Amino acid sequence: MAELSVIGASHRTAPVEVREALALTPDQASRVLAEMGAEDAFDEALLVSTCNRTEIYFVPRAADDPRAYLLDHIARVKGAPAAVEARAFYRHDDADAVRHLFRVAASLDSQIVGEHEILGQVKAAYRLAVTARTTSALLNKLLHWAFRVGKRVRTETDLGAGSASVATAAVDLARHIFSSLAGKTVLLVGAGQTAETAARALLAAGADRLIVANRTLYRAQQLAHDLTHAPSDRAASDRAATDRAASGRAATDRAASGRAATDRAATDRAAADRAATARERSGREPAADAVGLDAIPAAIARADLVITATDAEKCVLTWQDLSDILRARRTALLIIDIAVPRDVDERLGDLDQVYLSNIDDLDRLLERNLRRRRLEIPKAEAIVEYEVNQFGRWLASRQAAPTIRLLQKRIRIIQEKQIERYGKQFSDADRAQLEQFTQAMGKQILHAPLALLKQLAADGTPSKRLAAVDLVRRLFDLDTLDEQES
Amino acid sequence: MVTQKRVTMPPGNSVLTVHWVLPKGNAMADLLAIGNWLLPLLYLALLADYGATFFLRTRTEARSPWLVVVVAVHLVFLALRGAHLGYPPVTSGQEIASVLALATAGVYAWVELAGRDRRTGVFVLLLAFLFQYTSSMLLAGRVAEPSEIAPGAVGVWARLHVVPALVAYTALAFAGVYGLLYLLEHRGLRRHRFGVLFDRLPPLDVLEPMAWHALLTGFVAMTVAIAAGPLLLRAEGGEMTAKVLSKIVTGSVAWVVCAVAILGRWLGKWPASRTSATAVVGFIIVMALMIVSGLLS
Repeated sequence: MAELSVIGASHRTAPVEVREALALTPDQASRVLAEMGAEDAFDEALLVSTCNRTEIYFVPRAADDPRAYLLDHIARVKGAPAAVEARAFYRHDDADAVRHLFRVAASLDSQIVGEHEILGQVKAAYRLAVTARTTSALLNKLLHWAFRVGKRVRTETDLGAGSASVATAAVDLARHIFSSLAGKTVLLVGAGQTAETAARALLAAGADRLIVANRTLYRAQQLAHDLTHAPSDRAASDRAATDRAASGRAATDRAASGRAATDRAATDRAAADRAATARERSGREPAADAVGLDAIPAAIARADLVITATDAEKCVLTWQDLSDILRARRTALLIIDIAVPRDVDERLGDLDQVYLSNIDDLDRLLERNLRRRRLEIPKAEAIVEYEVNQFGRWLASRQAAPTIRLLQKRIRIIQEKQIERYGKQFSDADRAQLEQFTQAMGKQILHAPLALLKQLAADGTPSKRLAAVDLVRRLFDLDTLDEQES
Repeated sequence: MVTQKRVTMPPGNSVLTVHWVLPKGNAMADLLAIGNWLLPLLYLALLADYGATFFLRTRTEARSPWLVVVVAVHLVFLALRGAHLGYPPVTSGQEIASVLALATAGVYAWVELAGRDRRTGVFVLLLAFLFQYTSSMLLAGRVAEPSEIAPGAVGVWARLHVVPALVAYTALAFAGVYGLLYLLEHRGLRRHRFGVLFDRLPPLDVLEPMAWHALLTGFVAMTVAIAAGPLLLRAEGGEMTAKVLSKIVTGSVAWVVCAVAILGRWLGKWPASRTSATAVVGFIIVMALMIVSGLLS
């Protein structure tokens, strides 16, 4: 039987409907873990559930069919059975399971390779498992190792370099014009979810004034409030944004359909969370203002960055209304038009102080960044492979046999030292007796721990064996001895 | 031990009396020899520091007190050397290389202060290091023979012409380079061409003041150099050779370029891209004139 396994479904094996059916909220994941713990189904278990994957890492015990067991529990907490074909699932055992976790933590298995959120999501999953007390020696060690691998890949490669979502691309472009966004004003025209997320990211990056322009002033006021007020309102804001998208107001976000749009949406959601967290940490509330669409010319004169995302059929920022105002500008203006059909008359982009980007331009930037990230994959894979080997070596050192050998050696060293120290006080005959005495005593001392280790090696679970081996190695400082040997 | 040093130049030249407090005799020579070898090392250390900023993208906005310290050390070195030997460091290519290193680092320190960004410093300090290394290698404590020193090179007009001219050309080069970087980024943003260079460029609102301050520095320094030029010519004997003429033309073009760009921005409300383009074109013209001038002489 494998010592460690992972079973799950991700964007690589399952379409979005299946992933949605399997996705668990943190509360639901906690309940599943608690039930698993109570039923003693696994020796150890960790449940990772994000929008792109639901998988369980476990040290097997009773469950004969972990997939059915997992589906059953998911159905129980979600209140509906998930009809998922077996082929939507993957399973990896032992070294492959370790490799899988390390690749997940390093963001090599993510839909957007190199995205920053997954490591935090794995950490959150680990916290849930620790709270539910479903982890022990093996998963504790493995998870901390995985965090280190994730960090190594992040710092030693460019896998996470460059923006990967519309929101971060907007911030990237802004940073090519402005050294700091502090004191800058963002004008948000329309209420598309992607535009809203981009505005959030710009505010989180330091912009401290926001003007929302919308056909309906009430909606503009509501959005301005959502974007600039306390994070406690974030959930409500997200719900509102989702509602808007669902009701068709976010037509622009559907411009790029299919997988690219799904990718962007996923990373944008994460960017929104990061933005809100950053604001939460800084404790800063940007100033906000709401206006109707007719006030755009006055608002744009005050703005440094404009994001437009209306569902209007014609241009909202027209040459006729704005050319004179923008021609008179002395400072740069970045306009990001993510609406389809476009909101901004492209002739405005020819004015000297105006830098205009549309959704295709941003896509080009994102695609280039992703290409660059893909070039870093071999380097990241090499780090993962090295760490899998290192973890394998560590795990091998935690087997009973090498530990028993080291324990015997430790006792022998102690005997020899003591005999060398006190042996001179005895005659040769007495000294031989002393040696016999110390050897017998050593054997007696070792008897119980050796018996336990042998028993655990024969029929104990990997987790119990690891815990016992770890304790023995710490008690007798066997790791130092191991290092000296190697 | 301190002393006053009195240097008598060849017949026909003014007598320079140096009133600075200096270590006596060989101690000063030793100090200058140490300084001569220390300077390239200091520039190398700065280069490593700025290289780390560029490649690791760290501390991009940090001010560098060490740059100012190195510039100050270099300035003191050249002042002491001039005082010790009795002539300014503008009598040979090797000495001018050291002044160019100082001008490069000094002007850069000034524009870095304006731009608050040190990402481009590595290229500038590579130049400064190469100038100083060349100077230290070739100079190696060498002192010009009186016969090698041009008659006008020891006068006050020489100092007031040569040093500002070197600073002005260096500043114009900076304006040209930063103007070019500005235009590259401006174009990248306009045409959505996001290359590797684009990623590493500082923002437009950093490049623009850097180019602008370099342009202002060039204009002021060139004005001083041009004003001192005729007086130096008279001190040297007033002969209008082809070389002198080409220098006058080059300096005048550089001055006009700076003036046009500055007036264009102040009076004509030029956008930064046009000011930058003027600086780039001006720099190219001045470079071309310098090459022609070199060929003529």
